[in-house]
Amino acid sequence: MEGYSLGIDKLDENIKGIRGGSNIMMIGPPMSGKETIINDIIYKGLNSGESAVIVTTKEPGENVIDWFNYNNLEIPLENLGIVDCVTKTLGVPSSETSNIKRASSPVDLTGIGVKISQFFEYFWMKKNIRKTRLCIVSLSTILMYSNIQTVFRFLHVFTGRVKAQGAIGIYVVEEGMHDTQAIATLKQLFDGVLEIKQKEDNHYIRVVGFGKKSSPWYEYSLDGAQIELKDVANDE
Amino acid sequence: MNSMLETGIPKLDEYLSGGIPKGKSLIYLNYPGVEGDVFGMQTLYHCLTTGNNCIYITSSSHPKMLIDQFSEFGWPIENYKEKLTVIDAFSSLVGDLSSEKFIVPDPEDVNSITEVIDQVIKEVPEGSVFIFSSLSTIMDLCGEDNTINAVQSWNKTAKRNRMINIYNFTAWPYTESTLVQIKNDIFDCVINVGGITQQVIYGQYFCVSKADWLKFQTRSMLFRVLRPGGIKIYLPKILVTGPFNAGKSTFVHSLSTRAVSVDRKGTTIALDHGHIDYKGFSADIFGTPGQDRFDPIIKMISGEAMGVFLVVDSTNPENFSRAQQMLEITTGYGLPYVIIANKQDMPDAISIDDIRNQLNIPEEIPVVSTVATEKKGVFEAFELLVDKITGGI
Repeated sequence: MEGYSLGIDKLDENIKGIRGGSNIMMIGPPMSGKETIINDIIYKGLNSGESAVIVTTKEPGENVIDWFNYNNLEIPLENLGIVDCVTKTLGVPSSETSNIKRASSPVDLTGIGVKISQFFEYFWMKKNIRKTRLCIVSLSTILMYSNIQTVFRFLHVFTGRVKAQGAIGIYVVEEGMHDTQAIATLKQLFDGVLEIKQKEDNHYIRVVGFGKKSSPWYEYSLDGAQIELKDVANDE
Repeated sequence: MNSMLETGIPKLDEYLSGGIPKGKSLIYLNYPGVEGDVFGMQTLYHCLTTGNNCIYITSSSHPKMLIDQFSEFGWPIENYKEKLTVIDAFSSLVGDLSSEKFIVPDPEDVNSITEVIDQVIKEVPEGSVFIFSSLSTIMDLCGEDNTINAVQSWNKTAKRNRMINIYNFTAWPYTESTLVQIKNDIFDCVINVGGITQQVIYGQYFCVSKADWLKFQTRSMLFRVLRPGGIKIYLPKILVTGPFNAGKSTFVHSLSTRAVSVDRKGTTIALDHGHIDYKGFSADIFGTPGQDRFDPIIKMISGEAMGVFLVVDSTNPENFSRAQQMLEITTGYGLPYVIIANKQDMPDAISIDDIRNQLNIPEEIPVVSTVATEKKGVFEAFELLVDKITGGI
């Protein structure tokens, strides 16, 4: 069952779909547009009738929704769930909305887990949606507050849940923030990696772990919310 | 004052024969993803409202957010300032300021927590209640062995001072030995708070798995968390479906403590409704009509069901394809189910094995022989379905 596509044409053509139940690490340097790429992947999913759950550790939930509005990307809000780990740490009193549930802090993995599960249950049982994208943006922030074993245990549970319901999970990691051993530990939990690299002023993306070999590196540029891939780089 | 401390969780105090005795420790052992943290919060609020002195150790959120967190459930803890002491084991971790009197300087060192607890014990009256918002966070920060050792010493101190320790704990995949010690050894009472899981967690339950002052253990109780309101016992809906004249209404009536049917000339045309209390487990039972013109009703009722009985007439294999069709309608969400092979007392009834084969039922699904008119097999079937729903807890 090749159930999901990223919505990034050239990559999708190369990997021919991602099986339901897959967990993917997205790793790349700071300022390379990872959030934009993730939002784009969510946007494509939501507009194909899927649901999406975003765990945000850097931006308040409202900002995530604003991003779609700002970029004139119309999304079916009723199929989007956001777990906001930021607002409560700012000490701002804020209630939950139908789209946004709030965990106490990025340390509160129990609370984050409960909110993810509630959205999963709602979309599966109440809305009868069988395809979901879970995106954690980003794991690096969670790793700043909790040690690697703690985060591994948390991910062990939730990558399992993603598998059980045939969803896909994408977990963003900032390159350079963690030692190679930490990255290697986390990689055990993932079926594939979306890698981003920077060379001089250019950015490249590829997928590793789906299909017999890795996809080539594609140079990309971001135009607002749009990701545009160029043909395969010659030197790769 | 009552010598037992009530938890304030509906049904739980009844199961614990009135509550927790002085000097004991209790842990809410929460399955990841289930709203178990509310148990500790509800117990804290209930203890405050019943005049107890409480100490709340907050490990994963800033103390200034507590009022907000509790007010979500309609629990104004700010009215009980005199009775509530907060130990802030969070702010130092994130480098935040705190206005609390008791601050753990290094939440990643369990001795630092113990020192603050010792300090607090000197200032609060005997019989106070300590509630740990998240023992798993302490364990994550301080290490498994260190935390286990510290908990043992905290529990000894509590015993000595006739205090009560209550812990929220999320059972992440820690090492086997840690989980075994938590489940069996270091607490006087263990309450499992679990999830009913198929593809997603679609129900939550709790049960007493250990209470050393009790002889009996209980079956599980389903709950929901309301905002406001907190933990409320939830009666699961169980669906009874099957082809026309299979004996569904008789099955509902024979299983139920009380039941009504909407029928015309002996045939159910809307639904049967029953209620069962059996071995500490309660449920609402809904029976559907058998004819296909009522299928929209079945779809409607199966929406919130937690489990399904498919009743078939063991003497009438011609109706088995209809039975399969009804099973598909009702278990579309992946609900657990049990097959009721009814009318097994009839001379022309076919065997359980034949029914399993003809209906193509997988091995792990129970096919139970029943005679609903004589209540034979119906409670066994109920127990099997409850075990399927709760995962055998």
